[in-house]
Amino acid sequence: MRILELKDVNKSFGGLQAVENFNLSIEEGEILGLIGPNGAGKSTVFNCIAGVYPPTAGEIYFKGENITREKPWNLCRKGLARTFQIVKPFSSRTGLYNVTVGAFATTDKRAEAERRALEMLHHLHIDDIKDMRAGNLTIAHRKRLEIARALATQPKLLLLDEVMAGLRPTEVDEMVKIIKGLRDNGVTIFVIEHIMRAIMALSDRVAVLHFGRKIAEGTPKEVASDERVIKAYLGDEYGTA
Amino acid sequence: MGRNTIRIVPPVLAGVIVLALPLAVRNPTYLHILVLLYLYAYLTTSWNLVGGFAGVLPLGHAAFVGIGAYTSTVLSLQYGISPWIGMIIGGILATIAGVIIGLPTFKMRGAYFALATIAFAEGLRVVVENIDNLGPFRLNGPRGLQIPPLKTGLLNFMFATKEPYYYIILFMLAGVLLLTYVISRSKLGHYLVAGGEEPEAAMALGVNVARAKLTAMAISSFLTAFAGTFWAQFTLYIHPKSVMSLDISFEIAFIALIGGRGSIAGPVLGALLLRPVSDFSRIYFGDKLPGLHLIIFGVVLILVMLYQPRGLQEPLTRAYRSITKKFLGHAEAA
Repeated sequence: MRILELKDVNKSFGGLQAVENFNLSIEEGEILGLIGPNGAGKSTVFNCIAGVYPPTAGEIYFKGENITREKPWNLCRKGLARTFQIVKPFSSRTGLYNVTVGAFATTDKRAEAERRALEMLHHLHIDDIKDMRAGNLTIAHRKRLEIARALATQPKLLLLDEVMAGLRPTEVDEMVKIIKGLRDNGVTIFVIEHIMRAIMALSDRVAVLHFGRKIAEGTPKEVASDERVIKAYLGDEYGTA
Repeated sequence: MGRNTIRIVPPVLAGVIVLALPLAVRNPTYLHILVLLYLYAYLTTSWNLVGGFAGVLPLGHAAFVGIGAYTSTVLSLQYGISPWIGMIIGGILATIAGVIIGLPTFKMRGAYFALATIAFAEGLRVVVENIDNLGPFRLNGPRGLQIPPLKTGLLNFMFATKEPYYYIILFMLAGVLLLTYVISRSKLGHYLVAGGEEPEAAMALGVNVARAKLTAMAISSFLTAFAGTFWAQFTLYIHPKSVMSLDISFEIAFIALIGGRGSIAGPVLGALLLRPVSDFSRIYFGDKLPGLHLIIFGVVLILVMLYQPRGLQEPLTRAYRSITKKFLGHAEAA
């Protein structure tokens, strides 16, 4: 079943065409990677899907329902969660408090929300940050907190915007493992990432964006050997290696 | 004694002291100062639901005080309706006003929101100052309304001595503190904090930030109007400058910022520290240096913002915790 479908999505800011006639669909249970050079429009695509701003033209379907102009909080309740490229923790509050906010999306009871928040912290192996102020956490912990918080809303589809940027190689490997674990638990994943090693290991399929246009789509192997992708993004070294 | 027994000793002791205080403080001037202290603690706690938890800075709460004071006073003077009922009606009218202000302004950021709320409150004051009648209701312009002290008694919310007022405002304060505690632990409390700190992240987590803020504004303005009715019944004379002036809104903000916004203890601590300064500077320097208390507030605010930007409640709570811990340590050793 198609969980997400983008039909001819366009987004322009003033005279700048950020995304142009973008078509994409994600099957349930899939991990789809979105790559492309800086400024290609990747985060803009995420923001259109998540309801931060509506696309200038085109339609977006989530589980068969047209969600093109839906508000972010309603999308979250429908089962679409996201993380931000620049993490946005509630800094003055504890790790547990941060995740509890997410858990309140599906319950009104604090005890239930906190219980689920603790589960999520445990699931991402960050039990120890439960009582720590989010503003004092390391970047690796903040990235995981961001995912824990989004997961606490019990999403069907999770949009991950560069959750591995700034992590050390060992931390990247751990993150790949965690994300694969999420998929095994029934969450479909749509991920933007710059770290090629991670995207190759993670994705079932990869789409490549360049100047707002999709220039390639396929398995990681196909995409990595695509002439245009190598030229636009990966560089010649990657092709010969 | 067990751990929990010792832990509840300080709050119980504080409760007993405030309940028994009128027995020791016989001087009506001091009792008056205490009543005002609780009144401002009450006002600031009500304000804190929006100004503290929701992370915006409303500076027009005097409007709700005025709506509460005028509603109950007009209803009791013209129609003989008990101020207790007028208090509820005033609260409802203030809620409506609060929502009307909140709808367009909560999208504004920082100073713009503060300015918009000031404009609303000042506008309302100028209107009341310049009209004698609002439809069938007599407001009496700048001369204000006098409540003749004829029928004293609980039903009429009017007493010959200050003690009953002391207990009424004490229970109002206790009630609003309890409500704040409940809200801060609820879904609404979490949503307000989240929306105040990182609105975009909060929205992505299912929080309708505007609706949460509007709910808080409704509760806050409802409760603030109660203070207006109390003020009217306590002084038995209201006029636009006394119940709607910008000074009230500013003093609430001073107390909240110095005590600590967004915490439960902050508004009470702030009132405890600032109200005596305000009253005694007026008593001793009122004729020579009127407005001295505002200068002192300003200096204190600057110092607090520099060294304790979360307000004085933070270091004080820490000190309190370490003291109780010391006592608990002794108890366990024994």
